[in-house]
Amino acid sequence: MADTSPETFTLVITGAPYSSQAPQTALGFARAAVDAGHRIARVFLYGDGVHLASALCTPPSDETHWPKEWASFLEHHGIPGIACIASALRRGLVNEAERKRYALPGSNLLHPFEIAGLGEWVEGRRTSARTLYFHAGG
Amino acid sequence: MSTLIMIDQASYGTWSGREALDMTFSLAAFDQPASLLFTGAGVIWLKRAQDTAGIAQKSVEKNLSAAPIFGIEAILADRSACQKYGLDETSLITGVTLVDANRALLDQYDHTAFAG
Amino acid sequence: MSSFDTLHILNKSPEHPRAAQCLALLSDKDALLLIENGVLLLSAGSLPAIGKVFALSPDVSARGVGNMVGNATLVGFGDMVSLSLQARRVISW
Repeated sequence: MADTSPETFTLVITGAPYSSQAPQTALGFARAAVDAGHRIARVFLYGDGVHLASALCTPPSDETHWPKEWASFLEHHGIPGIACIASALRRGLVNEAERKRYALPGSNLLHPFEIAGLGEWVEGRRTSARTLYFHAGG
Repeated sequence: MSTLIMIDQASYGTWSGREALDMTFSLAAFDQPASLLFTGAGVIWLKRAQDTAGIAQKSVEKNLSAAPIFGIEAILADRSACQKYGLDETSLITGVTLVDANRALLDQYDHTAFAG
Repeated sequence: MSSFDTLHILNKSPEHPRAAQCLALLSDKDALLLIENGVLLLSAGSLPAIGKVFALSPDVSARGVGNMVGNATLVGFGDMVSLSLQARRVISW
């Protein structure tokens, strides 16, 4: 199947690592899209998907470290990875700025993930050829 | 680019309904045309007189009733799901349009999404 | 390569209510891509009669249902990307 011109994607991940396949399927898609010459405008973590941005995940050494796999991919290709602020704060995913703002005992957002609002999703959708959602299965 | 956000899970037991509402209100805030479609157990979000004090959650009833003011184009509910859960004009909040959640309906929208 | 009206991506097993909802909304101009637990539809006995059915190969292998593919086409992630662009729109169920 030959593709034509490069296109832009926004990917939304709502399923958490170690609770669903969403991060794994999304990474498979993302790698394939980049390999085919397409661009990923943003990866947006929403709902339980924000757990993918945790710097504190400690899976057993023989399991894939999903936050690090994703962080490495995002950094290598210069793709913004954004955790929705409302989802992130509720679930205890915070960066330094939020730690200070709420006087929390620590911060745990893994670089290069950032925290921002749903406006990033709205904008990503508006400017992307396709927006795909990776939800928890069932 | 018109969007249909679908809610098929019941109120308050899981958060996907709330997350879907946040997505829809965000689209409206950025002047993107958006409508909500409630199907299956999700139609129960549209029931009048939700008293959520006892479960320590905020009710979404007021937000949903005010959806048109926030710029949401339509609140749609699947007719057969409403029937199944005993919802009619007297028990639904105001502003709900009953529809058949079929392909013809979906084809009216460029973009369809769930929150989770 | 033919283009599709809608690509439906289904990751729910046949037992999940959303699987039935997805199948009820297929048209013959659509493509259905089974991923994750959605590949179980291959072994549930009946693939939808309408639309073209694809299944993601790693998920099929993981669940050991590779011998039940029937009329479905096995694809990889590269094809998943292509399919998403061939369809006018994508619905992730």
